[in-house]
Amino acid sequence: MKTALITGITGQDGAYLAEFLLEKGYSVHGVKRRASLFNTDRIDHLYRDPHERGVKFKLHYGDLTDATNLIRIIQETKPDEIYNLAAQSHVMVSFETPEYTANADALGTLRLLEAIRILGLSKKARFYQASTSEMYGKVQEVPQTEKTPFYPRSPYGVAKLYSYWITVNYREAYEFFACNGILFNHESPIRGETFVTRKITRAVARIKLGLKQKLFLGNLNAQRDWGHAKDYTEAQWLILQQERPDDYVIATGEQHSVREFVESSFREVGIDIGWKGEGMDEKGLDNSTGKVIVEIDKRYFRPTEVDALLGDPSKAKKELGWSPKVGFKELVSEMVREDLKEAERDQLCKREGFRTFKYHE
Amino acid sequence: MNKKKALICGISGQDGAYLARLLLEKGYGVYGTSRDAQVSSFHGLASLGIRDRVVLESMAINDFRSVLQTLSKVAPDEIYNLAGQSSVGLSFQQPVETLESISVGVLNLLEAIRFIGLPIRFYNAGSSECFGDTRGAPADETTPFHPRSPYAVAKATAFWELSNYREAYGLFALTGILFNHESPLRPNRFVTKKIVTAACRIASGSKEELQLGNISITRDWGWAPEYVEAMWLMLQQERPDDFVIATGQSHALAEFVAEAFSCVSLDWHDHVIIDPSLYRPTEISIGRGNPAKAEQILGWKARHMMRDVVRMMVEHELTPENK
Repeated sequence: MKTALITGITGQDGAYLAEFLLEKGYSVHGVKRRASLFNTDRIDHLYRDPHERGVKFKLHYGDLTDATNLIRIIQETKPDEIYNLAAQSHVMVSFETPEYTANADALGTLRLLEAIRILGLSKKARFYQASTSEMYGKVQEVPQTEKTPFYPRSPYGVAKLYSYWITVNYREAYEFFACNGILFNHESPIRGETFVTRKITRAVARIKLGLKQKLFLGNLNAQRDWGHAKDYTEAQWLILQQERPDDYVIATGEQHSVREFVESSFREVGIDIGWKGEGMDEKGLDNSTGKVIVEIDKRYFRPTEVDALLGDPSKAKKELGWSPKVGFKELVSEMVREDLKEAERDQLCKREGFRTFKYHE
Repeated sequence: MNKKKALICGISGQDGAYLARLLLEKGYGVYGTSRDAQVSSFHGLASLGIRDRVVLESMAINDFRSVLQTLSKVAPDEIYNLAGQSSVGLSFQQPVETLESISVGVLNLLEAIRFIGLPIRFYNAGSSECFGDTRGAPADETTPFHPRSPYAVAKATAFWELSNYREAYGLFALTGILFNHESPLRPNRFVTKKIVTAACRIASGSKEELQLGNISITRDWGWAPEYVEAMWLMLQQERPDDFVIATGQSHALAEFVAEAFSCVSLDWHDHVIIDPSLYRPTEISIGRGNPAKAEQILGWKARHMMRDVVRMMVEHELTPENK
């Protein structure tokens, strides 16, 4: 029976991966940051009372900014596989907190690699680094492959690029079984609420039910390669099961704009959206009522934008036998459906006089 | 016109000393920082005879308060960031300090410049190590990075941080991607200085053997005092842009060794032994730069090539007052 350690267990990918590995029979250890609010919603269904016998899922308090803490957790759990999914993962927020982003996303990875080295576990523990398509930033070729040069356009992209290279370096210098999964955008109903896809599907559900009037967005023309997080989880695992450590692009190979995401989401709830105006004055209207339901807010533009990302997953297809199962339409439809359920619950609570939260950004 | 002010972060190193001399000659007020200005020896400044002409400040580049305080106090027109852990070999032993002093350091400087809001021009010292192994192809400004050491990964990170701040916030900031540049002010842990000093000692009677790692590696070696001119030129352009600075010629380390020993009339084969423990975990076999853009836009061109560099380093070492 194998043991896996997942940093970032409370996030979207951590939750899917934990579930996936538990199903495969792994013992799963997760690292979560201490917070004054509960932050384990996404893994609540996996939790077992530690007083029961044979519990295979355990959480540890930890933080990628604390080296000795990481050394201790790895020493205690002696994992066969380490998945580093923890990060300050929001591109826009990285412009506001560049130093913290570097500390967690760049130094954090180095601290983990050093912990493995200090503990002499480089032969035992395989290491997965969650790299990102944001490293391609201002893209140097289309589509992007494992050989495309990088051009990061945000403190987040720069910090992640450090982690990419230091992972490669520890593989080359010390023969770590260390790999990068260069994942393009991957979404799901448990995507963080401040990421654009989830922000859209939540708003669409709430506008449909009359809990919200308008959705404010930034760059509608940004193009992304969106897949389903659940599919990408399998790729993360497959990358560590190969004979040799290597880096892989994980993507759908299909590109859609934020605008298309908005249109598809509204279509899911039976709202036909039309566009009027240009640039900052562009507005999205409900074609049947004429009401403005989408507006542009310049606050959501990044100081440096990443216009278009498109991944080429050929290598993953060929070597890992991996391909995505969920397409764009299906992804949007699942996200909207789940957010409708949540909105309906809030609507019910509100109607019965209970307090609900708006969770503004 | 008021005298221009330049702040050199990391003034106690080789490049800091030569750059300070150049800027003084050009009439700048020169301010320099070191982690602890009270205890630093500033040997380089002293040996160039300019220690008293530079205002020295203590600044820890990985501490934002310290960076901000220094920038506010000096209010420089130009900043040259040469600070940071500078040894590739040492970066394998101290990867965290390497990242903090290089990447966090640059981030602090960029943030401080943004915060202060003065039209400061910012030069950051990049490194040819970022290119990694180009398999003999000369690297220019468009060559993708492939760093092969914690030092190089940190320098690549600093490059992209700076590039992003230039594009996102319009700062006049740029990176000089300098290939190896040597001088008598190199500390002994750098292989060039280690070779020259050993050859000179052996020539004057020492029985020692010189232990070296991989001597088949090829590098592009230039003369440091020329390279600091390129730094200054970059900040005098209309637009901020990055430049590769190199001689355009590369040589095997074995050739460097042979040249140094031949300068003192010795055959290196009699005095050098290869110690595999000095090999690096990951090594770059060929380093070669293409400085065409610097020549075209800055009008800069290397005047001294590898053999001149060796000769000047040996001559310096053999001059009695420099011992």
